Amino acid sequence: MSDNTKAIFTGDRCLSCTSCMANCPVMAAVKEYRGPKLVGPAHGRMHFSQEDIEESLNYCSNCKSCDRACPSGVAVSTLNMLQRAEYYKKHEHLRHEDMLAHGERMAKLIRMMPFGATFSNIGMSIGKTLGIFSALGLAGERNMPAYASTSFKDGFKRIKQAPASKKLVMFTGCFINDNEPQVGQAFVKVMNANGYEVLIDEGFNCCGSPLVVTGFLDEARQHADNNVARILDWKRKGIPVVTPCTSCSLMLKEEYHELFGEHEMHEAAQNVYDAFEFLEILQERGEFNENVKPLNQKLLYHVPCHLKSQAIGLPAQNILEEYKVAKVQTADAGCCGISGNYGFRKDKYEISMKIGAKLFERVKQQDFDKVISDCGTCRMQIHHGTNIKPVHPIEILAKAYA
Amino acid sequence: MRTSDVIVVGGGLAGLMAAAVSASRKQSVTLLTFGSGSLPLASGAIDFFNADNPEVAIKQLPDTHPYAKIGSKARDGAVKFLCDVAAQANLPYNGRLSAQIPVVTAVGTLKYSALVPESMDASKLAAKQKVFVVEIKGLKDFYASMIVDNLKKYFPAKQFETAKLDLKFLGGRDITCMDAAQLLTDNEQPLANELKALNAGGDDAIILPPIFGIAGNFSRSAVQTQVRAEIFETTCLPPSPPGMRLQRAFMKYLQNNGVKFFENSKVIRGVVEGKTVKGVVVETAVREKTFPARKVILATGGFYSGGLTMREFDKPREPIFDLPVFFPEGADNWSNVQLFGDKPQGFSTTGIFTDDSLRPVDSSGNVLFDNLHVVGANLGGCDKIFERSAGGIAISSAYKAATV
Repeated sequence: MSDNTKAIFTGDRCLSCTSCMANCPVMAAVKEYRGPKLVGPAHGRMHFSQEDIEESLNYCSNCKSCDRACPSGVAVSTLNMLQRAEYYKKHEHLRHEDMLAHGERMAKLIRMMPFGATFSNIGMSIGKTLGIFSALGLAGERNMPAYASTSFKDGFKRIKQAPASKKLVMFTGCFINDNEPQVGQAFVKVMNANGYEVLIDEGFNCCGSPLVVTGFLDEARQHADNNVARILDWKRKGIPVVTPCTSCSLMLKEEYHELFGEHEMHEAAQNVYDAFEFLEILQERGEFNENVKPLNQKLLYHVPCHLKSQAIGLPAQNILEEYKVAKVQTADAGCCGISGNYGFRKDKYEISMKIGAKLFERVKQQDFDKVISDCGTCRMQIHHGTNIKPVHPIEILAKAYA
Repeated sequence: MRTSDVIVVGGGLAGLMAAAVSASRKQSVTLLTFGSGSLPLASGAIDFFNADNPEVAIKQLPDTHPYAKIGSKARDGAVKFLCDVAAQANLPYNGRLSAQIPVVTAVGTLKYSALVPESMDASKLAAKQKVFVVEIKGLKDFYASMIVDNLKKYFPAKQFETAKLDLKFLGGRDITCMDAAQLLTDNEQPLANELKALNAGGDDAIILPPIFGIAGNFSRSAVQTQVRAEIFETTCLPPSPPGMRLQRAFMKYLQNNGVKFFENSKVIRGVVEGKTVKGVVVETAVREKTFPARKVILATGGFYSGGLTMREFDKPREPIFDLPVFFPEGADNWSNVQLFGDKPQGFSTTGIFTDDSLRPVDSSGNVLFDNLHVVGANLGGCDKIFERSAGGIAISSAYKAATV
């Protein structure tokens, strides 16, 4: 643990065995990408001048399939992201990269305008129709995620919670805050049912995942430093930080330390939990509220890559099945392809849809009542690829608490 | 968290096999892996023992050999089970325990295995009139002329011809067999057309690198049905499509039989009470997680996969349960200078000793844990590479551990 996980120290463990290549969904989809092994562990360490750039580096989606495939514990995808940041030290960012990296900034601007969300949603549908997105370098085939009329944090103040001695801080994540506040509301309901009062810390930034994958590493570092300091504050008060977004939880728990290697990042990470990981720990302690009603549903579960990477099993499936809330069948169809903002880029759209094809095919069999997935962008991708709208498993559990 | 009937630690050939056999017996199974296991790096052929008749030679091995603990019933059961799992994924395997089926390697030598994917079974090669060796433009590490030169040493009288096909794979990275296999999937017709143009007859053979897809035998069937000559695939450098096909066949079986499969899950220790293992502990980035079980099968591999480690000389360790590890003492006995000589390598015989149920024992032969079973490459007492027994020991020890 700890210092061993810093990515730059893991590269030397690479044996060049090719396990990462055999499991890379991007390599399977496109032959321009030279693959995780060559880009991260090999080229990342072996290039000898600043100008020596491996261009195909921009194909990596940071889905982390390579990290999971690696038998030697090399943080392959993070090495790729560090290389990407090096690349942008010498190269200008494109406009769409800037946009996709800064969703949080954009959302804040929009929230400051009266009816900002409504107008920007109209603007986005006009933008899509007129081909403006495409001209900007965004995937014109996609709908941009629509803003909720009220963000989760704004609506949160109106949620009536009974004060409780047990408290947790919810790290909302940008997507849930701005686009799917109903997931946040379900989260609050579930945690309340389990005797926890939910707090919001307005001082948190975006976790930084969209910044890391677009090479804005310095900015990501600022987000990390701010978030880590706040998480440590909460840790000192004995209050855990819990998030229903799997990419946020992975970033806070693991990637900060892999990328930047500061000891405090690891210390803060110990106070961070993914939502169902937290509920499963309550269950193990005998503190989980078992008073749930069966919903008699059959769910198809797409397990996000960034949940698989956390090595916490499948706590959502465990809890929903253990208390007979629903039957959960895993989709077992690999990466959905969108990988955060990757599939929103015009030049990556086709790759992203090709990667997701197996999952779309599975979902289209429609032998279930609902699709569930813990990750917001996975849910968007499944919706886009199948026209079937998935929900977060916490929405299912919230329904089971009558 | 629900207690699993069986937890298997390790996702190589032995781990996948142990999980599959356990699941076939209506057990609830959790498979924990760290890394994607050996199969994407493996040829897909399963060797049992390097002898004219492996079945007979195995029966003459000393009592300390893993095969002696495993027994013939588990060996036979394993062969049948593996072939069934593969067949269910449209991946026909040929062979039996006593077989020595020739396979053409990527450099044109022949290697002999007991169980071989049908696509690689070169038994009939000797009887063929003319052999076409076909390389693909842009595909690296496959040289038809070298293969012909080497095959001529086995078949001096045979007629060979080489060909180089352009399947439009150029552009982008250097193509491996895995890449070619993925590019060929659902796009077999250009290859079929090119092979037809060779005018190879019904008595001829065509040798190709293993590029017929990474799932089952679908791509090969699509081409073979249009070509009169029999097509053989060779082995190749990793990532290896034939190994990936076998891995996918297992994964499909595990999915269909409700096995819980968790990646990136590094098991760091067991939870034990006296002589009973209650579960295993997985280390995540920030905390530990316990997976409870009634039975644990340890398929973590040998030195190459971290199932055994040696940080200090002469002190090999098994890092999860700290099991006693057998090894040949004294630096002189660790290795012989001839890496590929006619004697086993001492260090390769390092491993765990077990009773007849594959439960780990101490130096006096006492069973250490009643419900822990050791399978695959971390079993001690033989040099599996020298004997060419690694695959056979992996699947038959897994079968035994899952069925005792």
